[in-house]
Amino acid sequence: MGVGTILQIDIVGWLSGLPSWIYLVISGLFSLVWAFFNWIWSIVVWFWALAISQIWWLFKAIVFPGLVFILFSIIFSVWFTRKVWGRVQARRGPFHLGKYGGLQVFADAIKLIGKEIVIPDKAKRWMYRILPSLLLIAVLVPFAFIPWSNEWYIADLSVSLIVTFAFLTVVPVVSLLSGWISGSKYTLIGGFRAANNQFAAEIPLIISSVGPAMLAGSLSIMGISQAQSSLWYFLLLPVNCVTFMVSATVITALVPFDAPVADSEILFGWRTEFSGIYFTMTYFAEFAKQLLFSGLIVALFFGGSYGFAFMPPVLNFIFKFLIVLFFMILVTSSFYRMRQDQVTHFCWKYLLPLSLLNVVIAMFAIVYVPGLAQLLGIGG
Amino acid sequence: MCPEIVDEAAQVWFGPQHVSAHGWATKLTIVGDYIVECDPNAGYFHRSAEKCLEFRNFQQGALIMERLCMLEAFLAEYPYVKAVEQIAQLDVPERARVMRTIMMEASRIHSLQFWWGQFGAELGLFAMTLWPWVDREYFLDAFEELTGSRHAVSYSAPGGVKYDFNEKSIKMLERALDRLEDRLPKFRDMILRSPTFKLRTKKIGLFDAAQGLKWGLSGPNIKACGIPMDLRKDDPDPNLAYEMCDWEVPVTTNEDHPGQCDAYDRMSQRFKEIETSASIIRQLLPQVPEGPIIDPKARAKANRLPEGEAYGRVEGTRGVTTLFLKTADKAQTPYRAKIRGPCFASYYSLKHLVPGSTFADFVVIFGSLDPYPGWWDR
Amino acid sequence: MGFFSTLGDIFRVLRHTFRQTMTRPFTYFYPFEDRYYPDTTRGRHIHIRKNCTACAQCVKACPTIAIRIDKQDRMYEKDAALHFDYTRCIFCGLCVQACKFNALFHTKIVDLSEETREDLQYGPDRMGTLERKPLKWRGRTFR
Repeated sequence: MGVGTILQIDIVGWLSGLPSWIYLVISGLFSLVWAFFNWIWSIVVWFWALAISQIWWLFKAIVFPGLVFILFSIIFSVWFTRKVWGRVQARRGPFHLGKYGGLQVFADAIKLIGKEIVIPDKAKRWMYRILPSLLLIAVLVPFAFIPWSNEWYIADLSVSLIVTFAFLTVVPVVSLLSGWISGSKYTLIGGFRAANNQFAAEIPLIISSVGPAMLAGSLSIMGISQAQSSLWYFLLLPVNCVTFMVSATVITALVPFDAPVADSEILFGWRTEFSGIYFTMTYFAEFAKQLLFSGLIVALFFGGSYGFAFMPPVLNFIFKFLIVLFFMILVTSSFYRMRQDQVTHFCWKYLLPLSLLNVVIAMFAIVYVPGLAQLLGIGG
Repeated sequence: MCPEIVDEAAQVWFGPQHVSAHGWATKLTIVGDYIVECDPNAGYFHRSAEKCLEFRNFQQGALIMERLCMLEAFLAEYPYVKAVEQIAQLDVPERARVMRTIMMEASRIHSLQFWWGQFGAELGLFAMTLWPWVDREYFLDAFEELTGSRHAVSYSAPGGVKYDFNEKSIKMLERALDRLEDRLPKFRDMILRSPTFKLRTKKIGLFDAAQGLKWGLSGPNIKACGIPMDLRKDDPDPNLAYEMCDWEVPVTTNEDHPGQCDAYDRMSQRFKEIETSASIIRQLLPQVPEGPIIDPKARAKANRLPEGEAYGRVEGTRGVTTLFLKTADKAQTPYRAKIRGPCFASYYSLKHLVPGSTFADFVVIFGSLDPYPGWWDR
Repeated sequence: MGFFSTLGDIFRVLRHTFRQTMTRPFTYFYPFEDRYYPDTTRGRHIHIRKNCTACAQCVKACPTIAIRIDKQDRMYEKDAALHFDYTRCIFCGLCVQACKFNALFHTKIVDLSEETREDLQYGPDRMGTLERKPLKWRGRTFR
């Protein structure tokens, strides 16, 4: 044994064993990756099997009464609103792009999306980025419960009416928050006015929807619209229909009650500081809300897909839906804006007793005239 | 004001880029939803018109006056022309007098239509903006047929008018009046009888006649209080033809608050103003005499004026519009011109009118005074 | 203000609005159709050099110093060239009224917009004629 030749590690042996060592490492890594891919693949397979088994539902959720259809109908409603407003104001509305200006809204959307996003210094940046999408989601989800016909619907919960109202309650919270975090006094005032509108009109809205729910004996929008196969609830609950429509206008902040976005007082209310894609989202959310309420009115009061026998049920629904939308736009362009305290005053002093009145009458009719429901051919 | 309230107060600048700010900036101190202090700031529209007038000769000066307020161009250019006529002692032919009067009343109608459209937009109904503006187009077309320009008409000249009536311009004026009278009942339904309009304007911006006179208000704003204060009757102008027709000064009285006026009264007062103006034009149109429209020597006489002072005034759409003119001897341009617009008074009366009202009502109060920035910043 | 009379007012307002939707719009398809301009329209000027006597009354009458006269530039016996600056002109009509020799008139052309500021300064060649470049927009030709 020479001095200095004692090595702790047999380097030659170690070097000769290196390939197998590297092999071990690589194969270990590979098996990890393989396991990961297997796991992902199993998920894909599971999901695919699910999708194949639910392909019809997927188609409905994404294409026809679902996302694509709703987005296109929002764009259509923007166009329709602008056209009707133009007519009411002795103008033509958009006419340059496409036939009758049909492509103008797409052009506007592309322009708005392409715009620079300017976030004010005092704004809370992450809230500013999140809130508009939250708003759009909260408004788009309840469309799943709209019964376009007995086949064409996405989901049918036994409590879908309540779930819809729950989602719609999110909207003023988002408005208030976005008014608050935008860092401007005008948006703050607008946000509080939005909250005030919801505070004023939510109770009349829900009480108005109690009438149809009671007559149909169901809290599902689908069930209510199916219960009207022989008689529309508009004929039984006319006052409820009107109060529902008016309080829907209040909640959507359309013109006679558009204090939250009063453009001549507080510029654009809580939406003043939003720019680019965020503004587009809030803008579309308003129209989506308007569409949603039109759909709810048709489903709750105008017999859903029942009515004119010569049309398929879906077209039936859409036809009535357009008429209600037109009426809402007409109301929008006929009245002066009310002050926010007058909105609350009006809702609580007139709408609430009126909606209660009709509900009470319907209640007494159900309890004391049991044969009535049989006679009129309604459930409940 | 107790100190705790002031601690909670927030200051909001209303304008000058605000959509219903009319180009001015007002500092509002708000507590909750209520305005406790209003600080008007004029000066965002200053174009130094008085200085400009000193560098223009007597033919050109009226152009600057009408550009102060394009909406009432016929009325706005008149005080200058009147002052020049007074200093130069020009005689105005009979025909020019009647024509001037007719066009001034047409200008008043068109200005009021513009205002009520604007007020509709401020109250949130955009259809109400464009319906009166459609009717207004007919008046503008009549102006264009007569003078060749829709807004900047440059119609009156010292000693008469520049453009003569022809058959077509009279026909177009009558067509505009027909359209106006045809649509007035509709507007009465849409504005004065509309429940939401009543909600927004009744008992908003109340002031009584004494206050209004103290603040220097004039025109429809003071007539809405029930005081028939109108220069057309009070100070009959020899160069105009108001005595040739039979009319009454329109006055509005508030039943709930006698002697006071709110925004609703100011609106209904302006309805009556439009009706009165229309009836004056209707009466004067058949009475237009034949003759020259301008004194042939007027142009030479107005070239150089003798030394003198004159005070031309007219009952404008928004109130009394006056111009003080002082000339040196054989002057081609005025030595001093002082303009008094009606809207300066109505703008600064906001300081007393607004505190106590809500933030949303501020727009209503301000809009109901018929503001036009050209008249307070000159 | 009774409840039912208010309802009646509301329905009357709605009736007016509904009727309005059934009427024709008031506006024009602007680039495709234009409005009627009367003969008195104070549009851009035309300078008839044959009648001009180079008296410079239009220059003196102009309140905005928009007219410049060039007496050296002669086409006929005693005329002069006029340079109009349409960035300054306010179309008041004083120059046309000042002209005693029927040499300066307004025309019906009011759409004067150009791409650059220099294009609005009309020299004597453009003042004498009404012809101009046609406007091409989206494959169509206007003017």
